[in-house]
Amino acid sequence: MAKLTLKNLNKSFYKNREAIHAVSDLSIETKDGEFVALLGPSGCGKSTTLRMIAGLEDITSGEVLIGERKLNDLHPKDRNIGLAFENYAMYPPLSVYDNISFNMRAKNVPKETIKKEIDKMASLLDLKDLLAMNPSALSGGQKQRVNIARALIRRPEVLLLDEPLSHLDGKVRQKMRTEIKHLHNEINCTTIIVTHDQLEAMALADRIAIIKDGVLQQFGTPLEVFNHPQNEFVAGFIGEPPMNIFTVFATFKEGSVYLVSKNGKLRFNVPDKYKDYLEEGKEYRFGIRPTDISVVTDDQPYSTELNVTVFENVGEECRIHIKIEEDNILSIVSEEIYKLDTGDGIKIKFDSDRIHIFDVNTGERVEKQKVLI
Amino acid sequence: MKKKIIAFLQNAALVLYAMFAIFPLLWLVILSFKHDRDMFNTTFIFTPTLENYRMLFSDGEYIGYFLDNIIVSFGAIALSIIVGVPAAYALARFDFKGRDGIAFTFLSFRFAPEILVVLPLFLLYQELGLYDTYVGLIWVFQVLSLPLLIWILRGYFEDISVEVENAARLDGYSWWQVFIKIVMPLIRPGLVASALLSLIFVWNNFTFSLLLAGQDVTTTTVAMLQYVASDTVHYGQMAGAVLIASLPIIILALSIQKHLVRGLSMGSVKG
Repeated sequence: MAKLTLKNLNKSFYKNREAIHAVSDLSIETKDGEFVALLGPSGCGKSTTLRMIAGLEDITSGEVLIGERKLNDLHPKDRNIGLAFENYAMYPPLSVYDNISFNMRAKNVPKETIKKEIDKMASLLDLKDLLAMNPSALSGGQKQRVNIARALIRRPEVLLLDEPLSHLDGKVRQKMRTEIKHLHNEINCTTIIVTHDQLEAMALADRIAIIKDGVLQQFGTPLEVFNHPQNEFVAGFIGEPPMNIFTVFATFKEGSVYLVSKNGKLRFNVPDKYKDYLEEGKEYRFGIRPTDISVVTDDQPYSTELNVTVFENVGEECRIHIKIEEDNILSIVSEEIYKLDTGDGIKIKFDSDRIHIFDVNTGERVEKQKVLI
Repeated sequence: MKKKIIAFLQNAALVLYAMFAIFPLLWLVILSFKHDRDMFNTTFIFTPTLENYRMLFSDGEYIGYFLDNIIVSFGAIALSIIVGVPAAYALARFDFKGRDGIAFTFLSFRFAPEILVVLPLFLLYQELGLYDTYVGLIWVFQVLSLPLLIWILRGYFEDISVEVENAARLDGYSWWQVFIKIVMPLIRPGLVASALLSLIFVWNNFTFSLLLAGQDVTTTTVAMLQYVASDTVHYGQMAGAVLIASLPIIILALSIQKHLVRGLSMGSVKG
């Protein structure tokens, strides 16, 4: 067990004589035993990062360290990491037992020791009945368990999981997610998971590193990235249903700040503190999560009044969709069930503590100081 | 009942086809045991003789042709495997400019009829001193067998997940060890099947053997011509020679039949 440090990690390669930066200046430091997720859309460089840690990909520049030990020039086998592959990568002709013990046999570990270790692993991951089977006879979830067992059997200091759930469906996926979380609690090994599913990252990780085009966007706990996204990309990527984001103008009137949507249909007041961050007349990107908008039915103050475009009642919650611009729909998710119809006028209120305003050009959050949770 | 009738008819059809396919071979066997004088006047009733076989082996020449055939065929296949396996691996694994172009070029070696290239090759071989040598024939036969080998094996390599190789590297193997211990066993059925098919092509080749060799190096296919004498055709000896020449291939094919079927029904390596 140890902490993993990535220092100014870079990866670039050439395709058709054009340099492509798969990973740019990535720095992440994990704590001992921490569960960290590398999250981002496909092709963002997260798997490349993982492969650089594992030693399957050359590092263009920067350092990878476990504790104080520099890994850059070590052979994959000497790095003391375990990697569970996305496609399971089992040796088809070998039984599950031989697949798991492959690593130890390569190192000439005595047979009795191998047997003991595998028995331990089998009870940890519930593999006892599978040991004699061939990989082709296993289901997806079973294959993933064997895959993880194979990574763990070498007692790694850092466990790497490459999209472990992406080939599983529905229920198995849910179950496996819980199992991975449980396993991590059990062995408490520093773990890096690569995923494109924000829900997976939120559920599993202690901290999430959100990566876009090879550049780290934000590194923080699930709550941090959910409540205080540092830029528009993170805001839009985290959360289901996604955050409502649209362009607004700032206007100042009688000492208060108002934001007005481009077509003037939406106009609402934001807390006075934003005076320090916003400039009058300038464009901004405004974001608010569907769950942070409430419907006002009595005489309470409200932000704005709109007409319902689509109304959905899904039982435990209801969803209201309002067309505010030609190609922009504002969604509201409310646990309180209303009875509404298309065209009904409703008053809505934005939770003023939970609004997000981003610079229209850079996409960065306007209030720069660190907000504590 | 109906099923039984259908099964019977199917079997009958197969037997008929088998007879049709095997008959030429049977005819050869009969011919090879006949005297030249019986050749045209009886069909099944004659006194069998081993004279033809005795003639074949008495001067030892035929054994020489046979050995020549073995040397050039197996030499060509060995060379194809040494060149073709890495080539197929590279074409399957590495993403480089002109990859498909190169793969297609290999395949195109088999487009033109042999007779088309034999004249320039003949002149070249005369110049280079490759005419009528083992190296010369192995070289040209390798061109015949390589495309097949590369194209079959490329599919096999593509079927093996790169992650399997990565996993083995993490498990402590060097690249070479991964290749020998993990990848090669997975492509073995394909390798065996394609090597055998290539061997058949090369073994039975006539055009190149005839026109690029023939004195110092003579394969069995070319040697058959010697039984066509100016006064008569020694059908009996020819039949015996053909039979012996086809034996190695028949024995090989039978002994690796299992691999052959598996090897040609591709995609069997997926885990």
